[in-house]
Amino acid sequence: MAKMTEAKNRSVSKGKLTVAFIGNPNCGKTTLFNAYTGANLKVANWPGVTVEKVEGSMRFQGYDIKLVDLPGTYSLTSYTMEESVSRDFILSDDVDVVIDVVDASSLERNLYLTLQLLELGKPVVVALNMMDIVEKRGMEIDLHRLPEMLGAPVIPVSARKRKGLEVLIHAAVHHNEQRHPDPLIHEHREAESESRHRHDHHSEFAMVYSDDIEDKIDLIKERLKSRFPDMPNHRWASLKYLEGDNDIKKKYPIDIADIVPDSLEDKIINEKFDFIEEIVDECLVGREQKAAVTDKVDRYLTNKYLGIPVFLLIMAVVFFLTFTVGDFLSGYVEVFIDILNTSLSSLLVSAGAGEAVISLVCDGIVSGVGGIITFLPNIFMLFLALALLEDSGYMSRVAYVMDGIMGKLGLSGRAFIPMLLGFGCTVPALMASRALEDKRDRMRIMLVTPFMSCSARLPIYILFSELFFGDYAMIAAYSMYVIGIAVAIGTAWFIHVFTKAGSENSLLIELPEYKMPGARTVFIYVWEKVKDFLQKAGTTIFVASVFMWFILNFGPSGYSSDMGQSFGAVIGKYIVPLFVPIGLGFWQIVVALIAGISAKEVVVSSCAVLFGVSNINSAAGMSSMLTQLSDLGFGPLNALCLMVFSLLYVPCAATIITIKKESHSTAHAAKCVLFQLLTAWVMAFIVYNVGSLII
Amino acid sequence: MKLNEGISGCSYRVKKLSLPLRLTLRLEVLGMTGGTDVLVMNNKSHGTMIIKIRGTRFALGKGITENIEVEEVKS
Repeated sequence: MAKMTEAKNRSVSKGKLTVAFIGNPNCGKTTLFNAYTGANLKVANWPGVTVEKVEGSMRFQGYDIKLVDLPGTYSLTSYTMEESVSRDFILSDDVDVVIDVVDASSLERNLYLTLQLLELGKPVVVALNMMDIVEKRGMEIDLHRLPEMLGAPVIPVSARKRKGLEVLIHAAVHHNEQRHPDPLIHEHREAESESRHRHDHHSEFAMVYSDDIEDKIDLIKERLKSRFPDMPNHRWASLKYLEGDNDIKKKYPIDIADIVPDSLEDKIINEKFDFIEEIVDECLVGREQKAAVTDKVDRYLTNKYLGIPVFLLIMAVVFFLTFTVGDFLSGYVEVFIDILNTSLSSLLVSAGAGEAVISLVCDGIVSGVGGIITFLPNIFMLFLALALLEDSGYMSRVAYVMDGIMGKLGLSGRAFIPMLLGFGCTVPALMASRALEDKRDRMRIMLVTPFMSCSARLPIYILFSELFFGDYAMIAAYSMYVIGIAVAIGTAWFIHVFTKAGSENSLLIELPEYKMPGARTVFIYVWEKVKDFLQKAGTTIFVASVFMWFILNFGPSGYSSDMGQSFGAVIGKYIVPLFVPIGLGFWQIVVALIAGISAKEVVVSSCAVLFGVSNINSAAGMSSMLTQLSDLGFGPLNALCLMVFSLLYVPCAATIITIKKESHSTAHAAKCVLFQLLTAWVMAFIVYNVGSLII
Repeated sequence: MKLNEGISGCSYRVKKLSLPLRLTLRLEVLGMTGGTDVLVMNNKSHGTMIIKIRGTRFALGKGITENIEVEEVKS
């Protein structure tokens, strides 16, 4: 394909073409879109991944094609924001051709959207995805009859195996050129002729309703035509009138009370599904076989009694892999950082660099940034495990499994998905809360999601638990995750009980078939996260490390190697009284925690700079750090308080910005920040005081 | 009977949805229209269920399942 496209790229542009991709959630739309554009969009096997439209571009047969990926949707009503955004966009003049991505393995449900799209009147090309699953189940689709019944080209593709891509885009271009398709060959099984006048729709439209509805459509159409002759699609608008669509009523007001007193939406949906049943009967051969594997696996994973224990076990395995395999790989990165530091330092010495420059490079940049890079393997493992969970289809099962517990908090099980994603990174987790319909639910989830321990907090746990808890390091680190979940759930419960907040929204989520996670999808997911992490190391953490080095090596009296006289110490000592009651009365720790608001990893990189440890995650680095901390009187209980405080206080600057953006409220973001700081302080206070009594 | 009384492994035919209009329509566009057969895959004691409609699995909360009137389909 690359060669062909290249050849065509040289030709003169025939014009511009905008192709919109739309389809049900989980139909493989984003994978298909990525296959064309090479864009690394996130794909997940749960609904609501594409939360806003994303654009890409390509050139084909002399056309400059703009590709637009629209949010996954089951229908095109104007009830939800996503659906009306998609609908308005398709109806606008911006879109030339619509590619409707259909999951062939659940044709019956997917075709509903297809019929709605066809009614919009824009050229539609159906991309029949996941044909391999259909074949695996011993079914076949009649590829002659299906396009005939729909009146639109149907192209079998495999987004994952990148098959049929060229034909699909060819069909889209061709279909745009031929705007008036051939008459349809289609008739209803039980044609009724009760109508007062003759219908000739059978040669024009795929979806023909009962005579009763068709009569009404004709009457409204006439009325709309005389009042708004220039509107684009009179039949579609008439249908929307019958459905009682408020958007259309407002835009093109006419009185139809004499034609139809009530909304006929219910009947229209029913008739569409009747027609879909006809299509499936005629086009799908051998649909008796069941997806046995998913049913079998679900028997255990969603079992009444086993569901929650299995979920906890899976999460335990995820974190076990993160800590053990991650640590094993970290060893190699440490060696590399050590070599880098030694050679850089000798290089700078031989170049005759001054003491301050050597200190900045080695103690500031390499200690800070390099120290954080050594945690990359742990973070890689965590995201790999999360990617496998997401792509396999397990994520939406968690919503079902957790529905009971979430119900007690006045939330549906679906609200648990953003919380679970919070284990990876808080920012996308906050965005995922958009899938919740109720605004108050969304606000509540946005308040508690930051308590779920994200990957950026991992370095803090790994470092301090290994420093102070020896053989129990993994338990100490794992307990942070449990505390995070407990605080999040406790907070949500508290708000539920005291404000009686809690929507009537019951759980409603599609459970996709289990599938082997796709290598490409998992790779894109993990690579995006690793790239983000490296970028953060190169930007935020780099700047923070340099900044830390400056405020720790410069004081009111200029450059000084005594940190106790530095600006950092002055600031830290000023605030330190606030931290004494929670076991963190050390100015160095206070400075590290403040710096950590930029990004949580900065707490660790700052410690590296503060204590002058060049390779903080290595055995030598740790022992040097342990000696220095012990000299200050910082023991295991203080370490635990630090971990709890780090777990619960503001995750990072990006989170604050995201909360503000998602809630459209600076006040809400400020409230969240304040609440997190307060919660962190109170929890650390409890841990410190209870711990002091025990020890 | 109501859908939440359904036993896992059995099929039921939808008779009536007594839910707020928006929710009814949302379920209908997913294929849960009157006369559709619903296969119960899983039912937790309080009515949170996994069902299969028109070849797709959905998890539904109790608030939904206890408001769907169904009749048993004799196989």
